[in-house]
Amino acid sequence: MLRYAGFILVATCLAWAPTASANNSATVVEHAFGKATIHGNPARVVSLYQGATDTAVALGIEPVGVVESWTEKPMYRYLRQDLQEVTYLGLETQPDLERIAWLAPDLIVGASNRHRTIYPLLDRIAPTVIPGNVYDFKALLELMAKATGRVARGKELLTQWQARVEDFRARIQRKLGDQWPQEVAILSFRADHARIYYAGFARSVLDELGFSAPATHRKEGWGIKLTSQESIPAMDAEAVFIFMDDDPAVLRTFDTWSSHPLWKNLQAVRQQDVYQVDPVTWNMGAGIIAANRMLDELYRHYNLEQPDLRECAQC
Amino acid sequence: MLTSLLARTSGTLVCLGLLLVATVSSLVFGHIPVSLDMLAASLMDYDPGSLEHLVVRTERFSRTVTALIVGAGLATAGALMQTLTRNPLASPGILGINAGAMFFVVVGATLFSLTSPSELVWAAFTGAATAAFLVYFLGQQAGRGVSPVRTVLAGVAVTALFVSFAQGLLILNQDRFESILFWLAGSVSGRELEAILPLLPLFCLALLIALLLSRQLNLLGLDDDVIRGLGLRVGQVRLLIGLVVIVLAGTSVAIAGLIGFVGLIVPHIARGIFGTDHRWLLPLSAILGATLLLAADTVARLVIPPQEIPVGVMTALLGAPLFLHLARHVRAVS
Repeated sequence: MLRYAGFILVATCLAWAPTASANNSATVVEHAFGKATIHGNPARVVSLYQGATDTAVALGIEPVGVVESWTEKPMYRYLRQDLQEVTYLGLETQPDLERIAWLAPDLIVGASNRHRTIYPLLDRIAPTVIPGNVYDFKALLELMAKATGRVARGKELLTQWQARVEDFRARIQRKLGDQWPQEVAILSFRADHARIYYAGFARSVLDELGFSAPATHRKEGWGIKLTSQESIPAMDAEAVFIFMDDDPAVLRTFDTWSSHPLWKNLQAVRQQDVYQVDPVTWNMGAGIIAANRMLDELYRHYNLEQPDLRECAQC
Repeated sequence: MLTSLLARTSGTLVCLGLLLVATVSSLVFGHIPVSLDMLAASLMDYDPGSLEHLVVRTERFSRTVTALIVGAGLATAGALMQTLTRNPLASPGILGINAGAMFFVVVGATLFSLTSPSELVWAAFTGAATAAFLVYFLGQQAGRGVSPVRTVLAGVAVTALFVSFAQGLLILNQDRFESILFWLAGSVSGRELEAILPLLPLFCLALLIALLLSRQLNLLGLDDDVIRGLGLRVGQVRLLIGLVVIVLAGTSVAIAGLIGFVGLIVPHIARGIFGTDHRWLLPLSAILGATLLLAADTVARLVIPPQEIPVGVMTALLGAPLFLHLARHVRAVS
């Protein structure tokens, strides 16, 4: 019965939505899987991956539906305050399609690696946009700003970001002198293995800031998984950033690996240039707010004075 | 096939030589090369300041020992199972032991948040034992003891049941799945000897019992009535062998995860070379099983350094073609 009522509601909304906004002009947005025609400024946005949720909040939108976060469930603490009324749609890898339809959204944002097969269904529920690269938070911001009719806000956020990046580069160059650009490695520990990241959100932000990577880490693919402590030397760099979940099994792995003599022999460890960073900001947020928070952490780790360049309340 | 005592003895010596080569290779090859002199020095005259000594002592020694135990355990358990069920395709994987261990590890990791290796080892062992008992009793035919066909069918059913439960749990707890991925694919690296030690006495006892029962095992291939006529207590011997199999296979799976094919192909290789006499078959299966797993693990860490291919993948890669050949051959005979 409930489902039937839901169907009628969805059908009515779908039939009604275009007429209601027909007086607004239509925007055509090109994205990874094609084009989406969006009428007016969407108010009911559904976000199907973490970066899109972060970006929506930065643009001042509270989505009607979002997928659950990977840790700090159901939503990362830094976004929770701005997402009090949302409906949770399950995991990023398996969102609840019926509930998405029930929410009668007027814009859906998905990810190319996750939602390729359900894209046609999503597009029938509401105009759907899919950014090309899940790590490129700036392209995502531009795409979502255009799709939601908030281009000015998007530009403002990017200009701010650019100013912060330039400030950071100038300051760190002054601080490190001829040690700059510094070669940094991004590591992570899991319950039964360790990881070196060659690419990803954190790496793309570090690249933009001017950090470099050890020659052995400049390879294709996201990175590698290590199971043998014998391969600890492969982690070496001038500085090391480590993120990991706050989980007893993960902490035990980290304790075992970091008490190994080979670990103590790493250049970054000997010079005490090892920084533990927030996994949510560095690996999971994947939007403009997360990027700004990552930059905040870097200012702190390198003891750099931070000018107040920000207007974005959440950043 | 080697038939004379002299031929068999020299064959055994060759196999032991291969085992020695595999053991030394496992200690010497890896991300950081270690010379033979270095290896000897690290074992005799340990210097904690030397990188090579450190790698041998902290990393390679434990994984070599693990591969030795697991390889020998799986191969012996496989040989025993094939005799017990009179089915040449029997192995721990086919009789539900792997699936049982997997299900209990998944339940432990998702529902009870077990994380330490020693806890998971016991969870896996309990699961393996539970599944094996289930298969063993489902495989009984009223009044006629263990029926090979029923046992295999029961094994398939129990495997399907446990695997589907485990998969359901893993889909609901996707983030936990990551943390046991390497166990699921099978691996002997990073195993701390402390987590393995409590299982060792039981393991050695089981191996000893298997060797002592060699003569009785030789008779099990005969018709049940004939065996009884020869004065053997079939039921008791079968139960004892069943327990030995559970301990050997259960321990191996608990330590190293789901490593396929060692338990299946090694007994066939041993039988092909040394015949069906269990006094030769069992020890040779153990030696060859340990050799195969050591070799697979050494190759697995040399293919894409510093990463490693899970050793379960390596043994499967070696084993799959043989398995297919075997399956075709057996069908032609029956």
